[in-house]
Amino acid sequence: MAADVFRGYSQQGFFDEVFGADGTVRGHYEDVVARLRMLSPGELGRRERLRDDAFRTAGITFTVYGEDEGVERTFPMDLVPRVIPADEWAVVEAGLIQRVTTLNMFLDDLYAGERAAVRDGIVPWWLVSSSAGFCREAFGIPVPYGARCLVAGIDLVRDVEGTYRVLEDNLRNPSGISYVLENRAAMTRVLPHVFGSLPVRPVDHYGMSLLAALRHVAPPSAGSDPTVVVLTPGSYNSAYFEHTFLARQMGVELVEGRDLVVDDQVVSMRTTRGLERVDVIYRRIDDEFLDPVVFRNDSMIGIPGMMAAARAGNVTIANAVGNGVADDKAVYAFVPALIEYYLGETAILPNCTTYLLWDADQREDVLARLDQLVVKPVAESGGYGLVIGPVASDETLATTAELIAANPRGYIAQEVVSLSRHPTLVGDRLEGRHVDLRPFVLSGERIEVIPGGLTRVALRPGSLVVNSSQGGGSKDTWILEADDDKDDGEDDGDGHVERHDEPDGA
Amino acid sequence: MMLSRHAESLFWTGRHVERAGDTARMLDVTYHALLESPHAEAQRTWSELLDVLSLRPAFEATDDHVSARSVTRFLVLDPTNPGAIVSSVGRARENARSIRELLSTELWETINTFWLELMELDLAAGIEHQPYELYRLVKRRTQEIAGTAAETMPHDDGWRFLLLGWMLERAMIVCRLINVRTMRYTSGEDELDFYRAVELLKSASALEAFRKTYPGAMTLHNVVGFLLLSPTFPRSVLYSIRAAEARLGQLVGPGALARPQRVLGRLRADLDFADPIELLNGDLHAALDDLEAHLRGVADLVAVQFFRNVDELSFLHAVEHLG
Repeated sequence: MAADVFRGYSQQGFFDEVFGADGTVRGHYEDVVARLRMLSPGELGRRERLRDDAFRTAGITFTVYGEDEGVERTFPMDLVPRVIPADEWAVVEAGLIQRVTTLNMFLDDLYAGERAAVRDGIVPWWLVSSSAGFCREAFGIPVPYGARCLVAGIDLVRDVEGTYRVLEDNLRNPSGISYVLENRAAMTRVLPHVFGSLPVRPVDHYGMSLLAALRHVAPPSAGSDPTVVVLTPGSYNSAYFEHTFLARQMGVELVEGRDLVVDDQVVSMRTTRGLERVDVIYRRIDDEFLDPVVFRNDSMIGIPGMMAAARAGNVTIANAVGNGVADDKAVYAFVPALIEYYLGETAILPNCTTYLLWDADQREDVLARLDQLVVKPVAESGGYGLVIGPVASDETLATTAELIAANPRGYIAQEVVSLSRHPTLVGDRLEGRHVDLRPFVLSGERIEVIPGGLTRVALRPGSLVVNSSQGGGSKDTWILEADDDKDDGEDDGDGHVERHDEPDGA
Repeated sequence: MMLSRHAESLFWTGRHVERAGDTARMLDVTYHALLESPHAEAQRTWSELLDVLSLRPAFEATDDHVSARSVTRFLVLDPTNPGAIVSSVGRARENARSIRELLSTELWETINTFWLELMELDLAAGIEHQPYELYRLVKRRTQEIAGTAAETMPHDDGWRFLLLGWMLERAMIVCRLINVRTMRYTSGEDELDFYRAVELLKSASALEAFRKTYPGAMTLHNVVGFLLLSPTFPRSVLYSIRAAEARLGQLVGPGALARPQRVLGRLRADLDFADPIELLNGDLHAALDDLEAHLRGVADLVAVQFFRNVDELSFLHAVEHLG
């Protein structure tokens, strides 16, 4: 076909997920590229609009703040899937299990243990205690099996060499899993013949895995059939769709603060037949709004007495209260050392090069070349407050330097990671756009990595910011089955199998 | 067992959807019936419509004078009117969105699509140029929602609350429709002519069903008797009350009767044994006023029983309202 969606595609010197440096298609993408080339350029755009209509009808939206009191938007999904071969994923998976195991141990050590990592000088106490996410009220609250990061979302990027690096940990209320599942459902509907070309590992068991993990961490008093609920701030929250999605996937109640009541350190929900005891709360409310007795007393969405109920061991709150200390971006810099400390292992997934600004030497170096670095506030998530030196104005850089000087603990600096790029539909052809990857990790009876994740894509040309709140989109992410047969395929284990399905209506 | 808040949202989703459909139905009938009527007659009929929907005070607050145009705009697209079709559908959709996980995907998408459709339409132009199509769309969509609910939701407590709100709203509106639209005939001011009888029946989508039951005899007591007491027509007051009573019975379960059940049961029993001729010879309007007040009382008692923290005082308070 003459007009090909890949016409004029250029890697422009970046690491490209689909094309090698010499311009050849990587083995694990051959089938997808071949199938995409069978579509006329207009056809891909038409299917993307179909997908967008389907999402709008289904109400798969998030709310953007700041524009007209919250507008419901669909999360843009690019139809060109991201494919990760089995051998590559095996490394990522091992690295994630290692990292989340460590973070759980660190948090349990801090809040319920003897603070060994502090005592042994791995992480300074002043750093821990000055973290915005550090929570004195969480001291001594038991979490069964120490599964404090019940759901973790670890953001990964690939650098110019293609090495996966951890960009940040999200250990409080990582969102996005609903898009992983909905994107997959949309792909199988909108581009079935592309999907059918590869042995892709399924993701739709997430709800069952999450429920199993939540039931596993129920307090001993709950007995053999614990009651689990999802706690949402309400329908005006930006991630409300996801909250309803998870409740439906698990078949449990979606409650708001006003549905719960604590009496005699027991949490119950108000039902049409009176009060019903609750054992595990998967909460999607931030710590500070959880319980107005202990935290912000102006919280209208919290449940008075909930922390006391947790302390009494009558209810498990997941994720645990106080996790923010471990995803503080300054504490992040210490995670490789913590892995070494708790597990005696070297980090499988390296961090991005990070500078700590309370250290006078590092700060001086950073301030001298601020225009080459990325600066992030330590306690923010969602890309808020991010300053990318090479594209920032002189004015922004000057303000940033002042902010750093005034509060060196409040920021970190990182080398700019030249994020890998992926072909993405722009108009009627494909262009390279930067991507990251947020896999989801569950801490239940064992640590389980969902084979997939949210590939976020910066839709603006050249942009490195992929967050949905900052105009990012997403891609379906395909983890390929390991090729057990070990046939004579000599190239890098791309795991693709030959299929000769009829292309669907193309 | 379900969360009180969820039960309440379902109950109100049902009420709002029914209200949107009824409003469209009545607007449609009024608009087309009045195309060839004298001005004074038209004005009176539009004014009555505000009474049927209990929206006269809200309309008067807009300082507009009654005309086909002003009342229609008020009832279709005025966002400040909580009873406007856009408001009812918007609220039904907001309620449904807050209980998204309880609804079948098909039901949610039906409600959400309806709302998106209304948002995309130029409603002001629609009521000027294509009122029939607009009202037909609203009627069709509310029927589609009813059908989708029945076919895709498990018929458990959630569905029962949805239907309970739906049927109580219907009973109240049809009760008031009869009350307002028969006012001048029973006061002897006018004779029920054929066209007015047709209009009244059409407002409840009852014309065809009525003809099959009473071929030829379109007398006042037949029409009132049918709309109020038909045991088989799904929009009659008695039928709606029986449907609500059945859902309520399932919600309460076997054993002692709950308070809303007692009140609703008494209303149903009165209607079971009512005689239309007797009603028309007596004070029909007082009887209908009383019936409507008791239906409101039942809705309040349902709220106390299932949606609030049950306490005896609020029960007594709600019951006192019933007089």
